[in-house]
Amino acid sequence: MRSRFNGLRSQVWELPNGKQKMSVMEEAIRVADEHLTPSDAYEARMSYSNMAVDSGYPERLLVSFSWCLAEFDRSPGEHSAHMIMWHYKWVLGKVWQLSQIGTGEIERIFADFKERCLKLGYSLRPYYQQLVNYNLAKGELVEAQRCYKEWKTAKRDHFSDCSACEQNLYGRYYFDLNQNKRGMRLLKPILEGKIRCRSVPQTTYVSMIEPLLKMGQFEQAKETAKKAIRSLEGAAYLTEFGLMLEYYALADMPKAVKLIERTLPFGLECRMPWTRLQYFVSVRLFLQQWHSLGRRRKLAIPAHVTSEWVEQEIARLAEAFDRRNGNSYCRTLAASKERQMIKLKAAYAAWNKR
Amino acid sequence: MNAMNFQVNLNGMIDLLSNHLYSDNSVFVRELLQNAVDAITARKKRGHIFEPQVTVELHAAHTAAFHDNGCGLTEPEIRDFLSRIGSTSKKEELDAGDDFIGQFGVGLLSCFIVCNEIVLVTRSSNEGAPALEWRGRPDGTYTIRELATSIPIGTSIYIRAKEDYEHYFDYDQMDELLRRYGSFLDTPIVLEGPWGPTRINAVLPPWRIGRREALEYGEREYYNKPLDAIPLRSAIGEAEGVAYILPYAVSLQEEKRHRVYMKQMMISEKNNRILPAWAFFVNAIVNVNGLKPTASRESFQENDLFFAVQHELGESIKRHLIDLSERDPELFATIIRIHYASIKTLAIEDEEIYRLFMPYLSFETVSGRMEMREIIQTLSDREREDGYGMQVYVTTTLDEFRQVARVAKAQNMMVLNGGYVHDFELIRKLTDIWEDVALDVLDVLDFSSRFKPLRPLDALQAAPLLAMADRVLKPFQCESSIRWFQPAEVPVLYNTNDEINFLKMAEKTKREGNELFADVVQAISEELYDVPYARLCFNYNNPLVQKAIEAEDPELRRTCIELFYTQALLMGNYPMSQEELRLMNDSLLVFMERGLDGVDGGGI
Repeated sequence: MRSRFNGLRSQVWELPNGKQKMSVMEEAIRVADEHLTPSDAYEARMSYSNMAVDSGYPERLLVSFSWCLAEFDRSPGEHSAHMIMWHYKWVLGKVWQLSQIGTGEIERIFADFKERCLKLGYSLRPYYQQLVNYNLAKGELVEAQRCYKEWKTAKRDHFSDCSACEQNLYGRYYFDLNQNKRGMRLLKPILEGKIRCRSVPQTTYVSMIEPLLKMGQFEQAKETAKKAIRSLEGAAYLTEFGLMLEYYALADMPKAVKLIERTLPFGLECRMPWTRLQYFVSVRLFLQQWHSLGRRRKLAIPAHVTSEWVEQEIARLAEAFDRRNGNSYCRTLAASKERQMIKLKAAYAAWNKR
Repeated sequence: MNAMNFQVNLNGMIDLLSNHLYSDNSVFVRELLQNAVDAITARKKRGHIFEPQVTVELHAAHTAAFHDNGCGLTEPEIRDFLSRIGSTSKKEELDAGDDFIGQFGVGLLSCFIVCNEIVLVTRSSNEGAPALEWRGRPDGTYTIRELATSIPIGTSIYIRAKEDYEHYFDYDQMDELLRRYGSFLDTPIVLEGPWGPTRINAVLPPWRIGRREALEYGEREYYNKPLDAIPLRSAIGEAEGVAYILPYAVSLQEEKRHRVYMKQMMISEKNNRILPAWAFFVNAIVNVNGLKPTASRESFQENDLFFAVQHELGESIKRHLIDLSERDPELFATIIRIHYASIKTLAIEDEEIYRLFMPYLSFETVSGRMEMREIIQTLSDREREDGYGMQVYVTTTLDEFRQVARVAKAQNMMVLNGGYVHDFELIRKLTDIWEDVALDVLDVLDFSSRFKPLRPLDALQAAPLLAMADRVLKPFQCESSIRWFQPAEVPVLYNTNDEINFLKMAEKTKREGNELFADVVQAISEELYDVPYARLCFNYNNPLVQKAIEAEDPELRRTCIELFYTQALLMGNYPMSQEELRLMNDSLLVFMERGLDGVDGGGI
């Protein structure tokens, strides 16, 4: 069984991120669970968690993590606290993306994370950082602002995200508040190449496109989009693909068509309600633009994905989130993005005529 | 307030260069060659007529001298360019139209990685310029003096190895380094050795010679005969080169090692970016004139221009392959056979390549590996014979394919395995080329329902077996059914989809995971994923199954079910839980006992 386990794990190495890789690793975990030590099962799940994030299956991270956290507590001193807490950080960024999970539970999970940080002597910086994202997603801007202040004043330590990632998030925070100039200013060190890491500036470019359009900087948006699309690969970037789709629907329809044909399978496969909602809101905007052009060509997408189906899907997901959050933020999301699109379209057309 | 200057610690900077900026300490050879070649270019620009040459001499006590008959330096130039780090003589001209290789003004510093003093003797090509000597040390101090002797126009640089770096100054090593960096430079480079002078750059680069010579060159360089040499060209960025198609298959994960030259000077032997990522079946040797290098000058700044060059070079490869399919089908077939993994990646990215290669790519079918054109041929033959329609099924994973392969073959179904990397995506686009083909993704859990249901009377007879099977298999998340299907020797068809292991993991997490996440795990496994039970379909066509149905002893029937189930798991190579192993053991023991009892009863 040991050799079968090792064989599966080396097979995983050869595979690109995706479904096949996940299922080989799941088999390895099952072998470890049934026939090897808890330590093997733990290590296998920890690498599986990484793959789940990189392959666009964040819900599977939550499952493997939950077992690892319990195992970590069951065997004190056996596993690295830093690693499991690092994964916990990802989990905080994902757990509220399930509309099925109530706010009470989310708060309990946040509290558990906080308690563990304090016990381990880690800074609460990541805790507040994750609270900012959670509150922004609920449309709770006042609370988000409070947490942002806490985040920036908490001290940095080895457990904080790297400075490039943080700087990137500062910028995105202001974009979310629609303070685009300020956001751009914060991203400057990244764009000048002064700080970078594994995921920055790749994800920075995508987040800049909409703010640039809003500020009327169409030429820069075009340049940025070029860089952005090069750095996106695979189902893990579904939300980002959605944003690119919105941009191309406005600026370059043939590219938008190619992009939707390429990414819709990821979207349909995606089970995480929040990511799904974001992506289909983008798809809706695309379809509106597509139909407004009155094209004859049929899109090479599954027949059941019609405008009505997308509307229903968005309504279903948004309602579930709003019910959980006790407000109407998500239900207004699609409409407000649509208004935004109409405005941008007029401005873009005027610029294009010049 | 006084404005003050920063003090830069030169020793620290040298450490930085050697340990962080350059990947190899031998780069001083490149930097010295480059300064020499640039000086010669500058002198030519001034309109001088001369025989350009760079000469390298090795002296006693591990000392090397690099001579060039380029433009030389005046005292102000020495002060400006040699003694101030980061300034370069090449900046202004750079914008004009640059023929120079260097541009950062840190090149000479790289010499301090291997020596403790640089002595530079020079006479400028300006009329009446004096001979000058500059001595620089890594602590940042230097001296300049005028020499009384007369020397020819040009520059000589003398460096003596510091401890532990002597090996760079051996003849063989220097010969190798000069060849590595300078083989393709236009300016003649001569190494003075114990047996007289040797011209180290007498060969033409592979992009300036014919295909046959280029192939020979490739064979010498890579110790392997390449399948083909593809000329590369990009007008944008002025790039040219040769891509050698490797004679062996390479893994997707393998790091690419293209050899890249900038203005004919070798800058990296392991560049992995100059060609698109899909081109991993070639090794390229490329010269680029129009791209901006990074500070280490071992790669390029990745701007729009860079990606345009990368794209153009990729297009060269594509065009060549398309052309090859008509010109040399045999070679074309060999390339596909060896590099099918790479070509599959390429075909997904590019429609043209997809149409070109798809007929020749092979896929796993229930009747063994077949090229797509054979598959299509088989389908249309069948269509002519029995009017079945051109129906193709594809599975999403290898495991699903294995579950159904044997039975599907017996039904004459064309099922393709989409479980290997890229195959699913390639097969999914089949109808782009062959419009008559009907393609469906096979739902394995639903697979058994396509078989003939039993006649009511038979169904009634089988009902007790099924009821018991559902009870026995429920703890293992498995449902049962019964159908009549071919081949008769297969007693049961066991199907699970590829999420079963994940769901089993979720089950375990429900029992052993952190309590805080109990609802999270519950929501994921029950709402985001519809819990798919595995299915065990009994074959009514199989004699053993018939006997199990007829068995009146419930204990025996139960044991049969347990064995059918665990055998199916074993045959499918599924990891068995402790509980399933116990089930198998127990049922085997029961059979043994019954068998032995039977023998006793027989009175032998």
